[in-house]
Amino acid sequence: MNKLNFNNIFKNIDKILMALILSLIIIGLITLASASQQNITLVSNQIINILIGMVLLILLSRIDPKRFLFYAPYLYIASLILLAFVAFFGFESHGAKRWINILFFNFQPSEMVKITIPLMLAWLYHRLQNNINYKTHVIAFIILTIPCVIILTQPDLGTAILICLAGCVIIFLSGLSLRIMMVSGFGFLLALPYFWSTLHLYQQNRILSLLDPGRDPLGAGYHSIQSMIAIGSGGFLGKGWSYGGQTQLNFLPETSTDFIFSVYGEEFGFLGVIGIFIIYFFILYRCIDMAQKMQNTFSRLATASLVFTLFISSFVNIAMVAGLLPIVGAPLPFISYGGTSMVVSLTMIGIIMSLHSHKSLIAN
Amino acid sequence: MDLYKFKYTFKNRLNFIFGLVIFIFIILLIKLFYLQIIKFENYSALAKSNSLKIVPIPPIRGQIVDVNGEVLAENKLVYTLEINPKDRPNLNKIKQTLANIVEITKYDLKKYNKNLSERSYSSTLPIKSNLTDTQVAKFVANQYKYPDIYLKQKFARSYPKGKSGAHFIGYLNRINQKDIQRLKKIDRFESYMGLDHIGKTGIEYFYEDRLHGQPGYKTIEVDVHNQVIRTIKTIAPKHGEDITLNIDYKIQQVAEKSFGKYKGAMVALNPNNGAVLAYVSQPSFDSNLFINGIDETNWRRLNDSVHKPLINRVVSGLYPPGSTLKPFVALAALENNIRRPPFSITDKGFYNMPNQSKTFRDWKKGGHGEVDLIKAIAVSCDTFFYGLGVELGIPKLNIVLKRFGFGEKTNIDMPNEKRGLIASDKWKKAKYKKKWYQGETAITAIGQGYTQTTPIQLAIATAKLINRNNNLRPHLLKESNTSDHMKSKVSDSKNINTDTDNLDLIKKGMSLVTKEGGTAAFISKNSSYNISAKTGTAQVFSLKKDEIYDESKLPDRLKDHALFIAFAPSENPQLVIAIVVENGGHGGSTAGPIAKKVFDAYLNGIN
Repeated sequence: MNKLNFNNIFKNIDKILMALILSLIIIGLITLASASQQNITLVSNQIINILIGMVLLILLSRIDPKRFLFYAPYLYIASLILLAFVAFFGFESHGAKRWINILFFNFQPSEMVKITIPLMLAWLYHRLQNNINYKTHVIAFIILTIPCVIILTQPDLGTAILICLAGCVIIFLSGLSLRIMMVSGFGFLLALPYFWSTLHLYQQNRILSLLDPGRDPLGAGYHSIQSMIAIGSGGFLGKGWSYGGQTQLNFLPETSTDFIFSVYGEEFGFLGVIGIFIIYFFILYRCIDMAQKMQNTFSRLATASLVFTLFISSFVNIAMVAGLLPIVGAPLPFISYGGTSMVVSLTMIGIIMSLHSHKSLIAN
Repeated sequence: MDLYKFKYTFKNRLNFIFGLVIFIFIILLIKLFYLQIIKFENYSALAKSNSLKIVPIPPIRGQIVDVNGEVLAENKLVYTLEINPKDRPNLNKIKQTLANIVEITKYDLKKYNKNLSERSYSSTLPIKSNLTDTQVAKFVANQYKYPDIYLKQKFARSYPKGKSGAHFIGYLNRINQKDIQRLKKIDRFESYMGLDHIGKTGIEYFYEDRLHGQPGYKTIEVDVHNQVIRTIKTIAPKHGEDITLNIDYKIQQVAEKSFGKYKGAMVALNPNNGAVLAYVSQPSFDSNLFINGIDETNWRRLNDSVHKPLINRVVSGLYPPGSTLKPFVALAALENNIRRPPFSITDKGFYNMPNQSKTFRDWKKGGHGEVDLIKAIAVSCDTFFYGLGVELGIPKLNIVLKRFGFGEKTNIDMPNEKRGLIASDKWKKAKYKKKWYQGETAITAIGQGYTQTTPIQLAIATAKLINRNNNLRPHLLKESNTSDHMKSKVSDSKNINTDTDNLDLIKKGMSLVTKEGGTAAFISKNSSYNISAKTGTAQVFSLKKDEIYDESKLPDRLKDHALFIAFAPSENPQLVIAIVVENGGHGGSTAGPIAKKVFDAYLNGIN
């Protein structure tokens, strides 16, 4: 393989975005090594997850966006079928039915929806872009509601809300009138008591314990308190890598997955937090900039929604470990241990890079 | 909206979202600044000394009492010596230092190690349980010598009745990994903080949620030496609910005493509401053995015994119903309008299968002579029922049996209830891949063959002859206003759809069972009230051809099971009884007297 070909492989990769993502991944690996108490197997598993994700990212970045546009409805329907499949044939774990087993790995179709919903909605508005009216928004809303309801019944409240928000962003960006938004927001507030009654007991407990973590310090509030102690005791400079007492003494639960940010906060302090936030800011800035410059509706909407999905996930996770949101069990993209989260996040970036580097290929 | 305007809106709104995201970033950053900079001292102190401890306060488990308030399960204050495994204790050294106060036996050490391997959250583990008052006094006097050994005072479950009623009361045992998994799944794990025990069988298991309660906690500040400096906050536990049963312990005692050394089961219930008044499963075991983890010798003795004392025979024992099935078979015939009196047969002591050379014998040599349906029940005429069964056929029979609850759980408030079995050709094909023979129909009609029932099924089926509420459900828990568990089941009650005249004929036959010429005639001697009953005998093994069953020559374990269902007073039934006496021979002679004593106790009072 000569040099030219080698460059060719990476020609659709946005170097700035890639560098930012890689720095997050490296921070994640370093934190994981400490959080897992230097468990080599866990770290090497995570490296394999990253490699799989990277190969996907590179392949996807080379695909012509026309194909994404073409396949968007099929992908959407396929993901609905998989969701239905889970409802009937999926297996349960911790009281929720979310997984199906494909060959040798377990797979959560609700994660796939995080990608197919933005593509599908972007497809819809792209196709009808010359005549967007309230009917378009109603169709978009229906497309969004179906998978959300299925996921809600799994039950997976966190993912359902996340996907719903990502979809709403597209509808918002596509010009849904402010008046309708205000009316439906008000209606949602009115419906809140009903939604509350449909929540599972453990979900209600989590939300209540957020309002008052001392309410149930042995139960749902425990994780939240321990996480805040870990972060708070990190101080400005942190305790240093692998010196996080809360982490290393097992006060914290799930240090490798959902609570990895508490480990980071404890060991790298507020300074480390500022550092990671700066990286987040530049990723966001770069992506928004890409979306603004894209030449067609499909690319713009898909990019904005995918980016927003990634950022809501990150917010939810950080807000949760900092005691601002209930413990919902959401991983931190690019940093938490776990194959699904890593692969899905990198896939999203891959699609964004494809849409960005092929900007003129879809006629507007 | 045109495309230009669309682009314009998009750009503006995307910028708005960009701003929104930055705004959320700033909120997060403020919160983290608050935690890490402003509250740093606070959290740092918490993390460093871990000076705040949350100590669970376990709830007191509810008592179980009988209908008259007689205590069946209570809590006794006991003292234990405990050590913390995190101190890495030297067990031999502890054994030596404690030697002049209390002896730590090999068994105690074994139990400690067993608990050690099973525990998941409680901080200290008992090294010696059930200290006497003297031992407690001695230990307290010398406590300064043993800084790493803790004297703990706790409530332990106790079953004052010992072996009596052990099966329905159930018992507690230490929480094991399996329980933890189950509790986590139903999100109840946290409510067991600071507790070691959980209900494993019987009422203790079934009503665990109510008996258990909800733990409280206190937040305490401790110094480096783990000494409490002060209590910051206390939330009181919610103690468990006391549970009142329908069981009348006086009747229960009479029943157990009348059972004597026989094995088997008995259940007595009120046909008007399904309340279970006595619940016997013999042989029994002492529930107190299980509380702190049963020791190996006792476990082997109970678990390996051929008499299977641990099996709750009332709900888990499966027996062929024998002739106790006949009233229900007869009812099926009447509903299909066959064999209705005055129809009768002349019984010569055997039945010839139509178009086959096969012959089925009656239990009585020479037969019963002229027999109609009512007499067939009274004298338990097999010949009559062979023919009836063949004429009626299995599908029509099963419709009626199902309605009376055979082959279905009764949904009594007891765990491990068995379903039983009503056989059909479809079932046999699926199970054995063989076709159904007509001969099997004949023997099914007299309650032999594949049919299997539990004693509680027999009791509730009998009760349904009296109370036509199709949803009648046996229950041990005394119904109260708070019992929605019960209400939901009963609310949509449907009546058993059958003719009262048909039921009257069946009841007439059953009332004659205890009269002159009936199979249990002797039990109504000197009785101040009328009893209706049906006897039954279930074969434990099959005789070979030409072999004659001779009870006196058989070893006990091969003797037939004696079955008995009854209700009294016949005119206005107040109590239904179902009895199975394993290897008791003929139903009337062994099971009948037991039932009589229980009826006497209930209807005439206990002297």
